[in-house]
Amino acid sequence: MKKKFLIIGAFITISPVLFSFCGFYVSKADGTLKNKTSQVILVRDGNKTVITMYNDFKGDSKDFAMVVPVPVVLRKDDIKVVDQSVFQRLNDYSAPRLVEYWDENPCNSYESMDEKKDMAAPSSSINRALAGKVAGAQVNVKVEAKYLVGEYDILILSAKESSGLKNWLTENGYKIPADAEEVLDPYIKSNLKFFVVKVNEKEKQKLNNNFLRPIQISFNSPKFMLPIRLGMANADGDQDLIVYAFTRRGRIESTNYRNVEIASNKNIPLFVQKNFGAFYGNLFTTQWDKENKSVAFLEYAWNVTPINQMKCDPCVGNPPTEQDLVQSGVWWLGNKDWSDYSDVDNEEIDNGSNNVHFTRLHFRYNRNSFPQDLMFQVTPNTLNYQARYIITHPASGDFNCAAGKKYLQDLKARRKNELRVLTALTGTNINNWQDEATAKNDEETNVAAQYATLLPQLNEEMENKENMPVGIIVFAAAMLGGAGLMRWRGLI
Amino acid sequence: MHWRNESWLYVTYFATSLAVQFVCEYFLGKKHIPFLQRFKNGIPSVLISSFGLSLLLKTNLWWVAVLAATVTILSKYILRINGKHIFNPSALGIVIAVLFTGNAWISPGQWGSDAVILFGVLSLGFIVATRVQKLDVSLAFLGTFAGLLFLRQIIYLGWPIDHFVQSVSTGSLLLFSFFMITDPKTIPNHTTVRIVWCISIAAVAFYLTAFKFMNAAPIFVLVMAQPLVPILDKIFNAKKFEWAKSKAYTAEEQNFLQVVYSKSSM
Repeated sequence: MKKKFLIIGAFITISPVLFSFCGFYVSKADGTLKNKTSQVILVRDGNKTVITMYNDFKGDSKDFAMVVPVPVVLRKDDIKVVDQSVFQRLNDYSAPRLVEYWDENPCNSYESMDEKKDMAAPSSSINRALAGKVAGAQVNVKVEAKYLVGEYDILILSAKESSGLKNWLTENGYKIPADAEEVLDPYIKSNLKFFVVKVNEKEKQKLNNNFLRPIQISFNSPKFMLPIRLGMANADGDQDLIVYAFTRRGRIESTNYRNVEIASNKNIPLFVQKNFGAFYGNLFTTQWDKENKSVAFLEYAWNVTPINQMKCDPCVGNPPTEQDLVQSGVWWLGNKDWSDYSDVDNEEIDNGSNNVHFTRLHFRYNRNSFPQDLMFQVTPNTLNYQARYIITHPASGDFNCAAGKKYLQDLKARRKNELRVLTALTGTNINNWQDEATAKNDEETNVAAQYATLLPQLNEEMENKENMPVGIIVFAAAMLGGAGLMRWRGLI
Repeated sequence: MHWRNESWLYVTYFATSLAVQFVCEYFLGKKHIPFLQRFKNGIPSVLISSFGLSLLLKTNLWWVAVLAATVTILSKYILRINGKHIFNPSALGIVIAVLFTGNAWISPGQWGSDAVILFGVLSLGFIVATRVQKLDVSLAFLGTFAGLLFLRQIIYLGWPIDHFVQSVSTGSLLLFSFFMITDPKTIPNHTTVRIVWCISIAAVAFYLTAFKFMNAAPIFVLVMAQPLVPILDKIFNAKKFEWAKSKAYTAEEQNFLQVVYSKSSM
């Protein structure tokens, strides 16, 4: 059946809940500060890494501080603040997308109308934070450096032992999570430094902003990782982390957790359109459970090199501009003076290439499923990938011709399959969709082809159906059988 | 097992390996053994090599896959000293593809823990069933590597135990321990030397992993170290490994093989 193209719809927003990224918040009051969803931009080429941390701090406490383990003592030039809107643009551009198609009435020859819809952008949350005081160093803790960058007071600490660091923070008026110490110790022994960020109230007032801007740090180190373990110290339950990564070569992937591409290019029922965000949230949770949680989900991968014409198919948000990329820390673009990072320690020779590959990874971590920090590698994998879901509007009019009758048959089969896919992806019982799959929700006027009619039929078919891990059993049997056969035949 | 949809890659590895094996055995095999017989004798080794490539080496380009498989099998016939090939076939194929094509990469994080357990059990089953791989080598390597990681991560750095478990329960490490370093043709003949050799490889690989943050270090270390094996063999004499001898043939079977051989050589 011919399909008339197309409009593009929706996206998922990262719920603007309480949040931090790799560090943990330290509060002076007994607040209820929690991290839930974090976003981070990673730029990597050779041994150089640029990390930008989205700051979505909220909470009743007036004090904000963040501690991030870093491999080296950062210089002032290595730290800056960037415009936070770049995160919104990257998210809009790379979020899972819903695509719409229209069936054409096979009995008509005229073309149906194309429409365009755009969903509203999510409102950005309001962040507040106020400054605290930083006192001098205590025993066993060395203040390696002290900077004022934008609205932030920044300290780089190194410590000899975790209790020293813990005491230092406590004595300087910070409240730190009880179980942070077990995590601090391995970091100190790995010779990591601690990047402590606080808000300088005076500077903040000058800016007249009511939010905190993202902090961007850059450094040279063979370690390509994100320290998430510290962030688990004051988070309860699962935390989501979205990583937007830019490299010259290709996709990044996790080296210590399994990489999975999230299910994509699936035909799903029309009514999902009304609540695509919830659908994807459901899908993600189900897939995450199914893959045993310790996984890195790929949600998007694309070549976003400024000269590359096609940056998405279809585009949900505007592709990042060269300016966005430079803001994100892609230092090999644009003019070198703009980003005055020193590349002296970078082993990789600058080959002058302007390639930029974008990877969006989605983690949902907790203490049990993620015992290690996230380690990454840059791969030469340049294949494009997107999380894309398809809805198809039925044709309307009379279907009195032969092709029209066939169309109705096909439509029924297709819609049944869409329902099947929906339950498989979201792991829900088919009956859960009865509220959504009502006749008045449906564009289809032919009762026989309505989701509401098809749902009970499908329900019957799906009963007593089991999913066996057939692949594993066949593989195991083949391997052992093969070995046995070869042995029996005297080959080995 | 959570295979990604990369069946075309696996098929390419296996098909190329078998084809190259066929050609090499035809032109370079030992002429006193009937062709079909010697082709069949080489099959287990070809399967293990292709299996190793499939599980570790990723690429999006078919010619890289073909190149890796060809290097893998060809190295067994061309790079030989004293009747033993120098390099572990799949390790060399992987290293060459990664270093020289720039379009291949090693995916150590591809496997889930369930798959790793299943693979561990299958590996042991396979070893017991076939007895072509040497368990002492696997255990010496795995014991040293895991032991050093344990000392570093748990005793020295003080990470909780599951941090360590995550490090050692990767499929690539098990695959390496049970199917790569064990290749009987590419390890020293002398038993003690063999164990010391494995321990050294484990120690260097540990250093590169823990302090240089190198990915898939054991494979690279193995390939770098293998040219030393002929030297070690020269210094320490011992009986060379022989693949288990096939049972004797009856006269009828001999006759049949002769016929097949003469046909296949036409």
